Amino acid sequence: MNASVQAQANGAAGKSVINAKGLSKTFGGGAVVALNDANFEIRPGSFVSLVGPSGCGKSTLLRLIAGLIDRTNGELAVHGRDVTGPRTDVGMMFQKATLLEWRTAVENVLLPTEMAGTVTKADRKNAADLLRMVGLKDFLFAFPSQLSGGMQQRVALARLLQTGADVLLLDEPFGALDEFTRERLNVELMRIVGEVKATTLFVTHNIAEAIFLADQVFVMTPRPGQIASIVDVPFERPRPLSIQTSPEFNTLVAQVRDILGEDH
Amino acid sequence: MAAQDTMTEGLSARSGGLSLRQRRTLLHALIFFTLIGLWEAGARLGLLDPLFYPRPTSILNSFYLIYIKNGNVWFNLYATMSLVIAGWIGGSILGVGLGALVGFNAVVRRFLKPYVIVLEATPRIAVAPLLIAALGFGASSKIAIIVLVCFFAPFINTLSGVVNVNEDKLELFRSLRATKMQVLRKLVLPDAIPVIMAGERLALTAALSGALVAEFIQRDQGMGALILVYTRNLNMASSFACIFTLTILGFLIFKGMEWVDHHIAYWKNEAGMKRIGDRRRRQFGAQVGE
Amino acid sequence: MSDFTSTTDTRFDSRLFRIVPHLILFALILVIWEAAVRLGFITSIIIPRPTAIMGAIAELYFVKGTIYHHFFITLTEAVVGFLIGASVAVSLAVCSALSDPFKRYVSPYAIVLNVTPGIALTPIIIAWFGYGMGSKIALAAVLCFFPIFVNTLTGLLQRDEDREELFRSVGASNAQIFRKLRVPAALPLLFAGMKIGLTTALIGAVVAEFSQATEGVGVLMSRFSFQLDMASSLATLLSMTLIGLILFYSMEFLDDRIVFWRRETRRAAASRAKARAWNARMGQ
Repeated sequence: MNASVQAQANGAAGKSVINAKGLSKTFGGGAVVALNDANFEIRPGSFVSLVGPSGCGKSTLLRLIAGLIDRTNGELAVHGRDVTGPRTDVGMMFQKATLLEWRTAVENVLLPTEMAGTVTKADRKNAADLLRMVGLKDFLFAFPSQLSGGMQQRVALARLLQTGADVLLLDEPFGALDEFTRERLNVELMRIVGEVKATTLFVTHNIAEAIFLADQVFVMTPRPGQIASIVDVPFERPRPLSIQTSPEFNTLVAQVRDILGEDH
Repeated sequence: MAAQDTMTEGLSARSGGLSLRQRRTLLHALIFFTLIGLWEAGARLGLLDPLFYPRPTSILNSFYLIYIKNGNVWFNLYATMSLVIAGWIGGSILGVGLGALVGFNAVVRRFLKPYVIVLEATPRIAVAPLLIAALGFGASSKIAIIVLVCFFAPFINTLSGVVNVNEDKLELFRSLRATKMQVLRKLVLPDAIPVIMAGERLALTAALSGALVAEFIQRDQGMGALILVYTRNLNMASSFACIFTLTILGFLIFKGMEWVDHHIAYWKNEAGMKRIGDRRRRQFGAQVGE
Repeated sequence: MSDFTSTTDTRFDSRLFRIVPHLILFALILVIWEAAVRLGFITSIIIPRPTAIMGAIAELYFVKGTIYHHFFITLTEAVVGFLIGASVAVSLAVCSALSDPFKRYVSPYAIVLNVTPGIALTPIIIAWFGYGMGSKIALAAVLCFFPIFVNTLTGLLQRDEDREELFRSVGASNAQIFRKLRVPAALPLLFAGMKIGLTTALIGAVVAEFSQATEGVGVLMSRFSFQLDMASSLATLLSMTLIGLILFYSMEFLDDRIVFWRRETRRAAASRAKARAWNARMGQ
């Protein structure tokens, strides 16, 4: 809530939620260039996919925005404020659900609230509502080991939403799931981020998935990791799965594949 | 193997109504009583010297003597168990505390490593005579021996539990801006509990062995002293009765620790998850609109 | 060539450099300890001075050399006991793995043996096998039996269905599957059990020596202790540590040689740990 007020204030001033200029990250004292000279602006409420092969710096970019690692060069601001570390208006979800096995689903969702302060009845109600929103109304008091992989990721998504952040970073969140579960979760993700009006960055190595979900696709290439091109996706969100068979969609896929080159 | 299977199948055809489980129990009993019978017969026929290898029936008689007629086992059992519990609690506090301290401090860990390796290779029970000489006869030196013998497993397990925290979860906590204290309380400790509990199990078993060795050396009271005295007097039947008492005790300790483990590390078993899940539902069900 | 020497030099330097702080700390502890005893903060009857311990070590190990006879007695007892206990344990584990009925009707007795504190048998075993080395070997064998048995059996019982199917598809017999698939797969756990078994075998030998014996480091230990010669008894304790280290590292060596395919995994685990530490530093 706090964050969305901030977003409006900044939305009036700038027009973008995330600003990057000449953003770079090197490891091992410059030996490995994980991300080279990234420049972009991301509009509030938009959905951006980062797609590319491994080593293209997509996870590095996400972790930079999350404040989990420090940049080597350049500028990076979220809501007009310089990124110096993890913050409350940015939330992150990982490839692994990383749920705490000793907590029920509701208690796992409440973890971000506990970190920030004490848990109230309203927080518990909110956590339960989020779990219902992600389709787990019958599993509020189930433990992670009693849930399937897809359900665990749903809990992780609810936990991400519980942070109240309006910038959501998702690092291949459904990458470890089977194709059918992943498609279903993608559709739901699109609906949910639309409902909460969050700005979303989504990392994937699947071109069709990247285009299906996003307003903009950052196409990234390795050695050195960089944003090779930004492709705009003209379709309205939310979209039906069937859009993937349309000629326009396939033209976009071909365009991205072309940028990525032969090795993809 | 195949021959035996057809044999048991043939048996089942004849015995009709018995289930597989009942048949197996029967066979277990059959084997057990055959062994006992052979032992008894061997001793009675003079194949086994009864002075060293007591007959099963005399062991049973000794059970009657030490538990009921003389009743002397109770006091010694109490003496040993109170030592074991005291030493185990002391060793656990020392081990878990030291393990956590070392686990959280990379510098301490680095400097302590050679000493831990040395300590691990030393048979720690060997210090028993030294401690008795230093602290004198009596309970204090016995407890010191038990503490020394049983602190190591909780120490090592706590250490590895604390050090091997899941990296992904640590990153999650970092992204949620958790304080050091929050990471410790909400991640590291719960994550390490199953490993620490495994260490505690080992520690309790070691504590019993430590108590017995201490009693062997001091020869005053307790199960160790009792076994020693009975054996010296060549009252082997009573000696064996004491050993079997310790078997039962060991079994109870094993089962008891298993029970405690199931309750503390509740998320490792279905029953525990159901219990705690139901409890949370009672606590918060109304608040979350269920 | 010169390049080669220079790299070895730096490696040697860095290793030396890493040992130095440890040595300084060790020396510091010794100095404080020595001072504390000399200044009377600690009674020297309970905890002797480091210099006194060093004197005792010099006496036992170099001047008189008394320790060696006892050292080899105990080492022999532990090793022979271990060999007997391990052979019985491995044979029973193999039989149990091959035959379900055997496992079913033997395992209750193994469990009974496991929950009985083996050390409680010390007086009885001494009565049975006498005051000499026999009783020490027997106790060592009894104590090391269970960890080896249970680890070997667990190793042999873990079945990899996919690989067994692969073996069957190329026409392997049950015996071949057992020899070429299940046995190698069980080796890592077997060695883990052997390492525990060696430690418990040494404990068995020493405890039996405490109870009744004329030779062995356990005898020396209790003799010095009851003479209140703490320095000599700590010097004796050192020899037990040495036996423990020798036994452990020889098993580690065999493990590395025989289970060579896990060397890579171990190395990979080590490099992963290093990468993690590196990332953590980069992250902050």
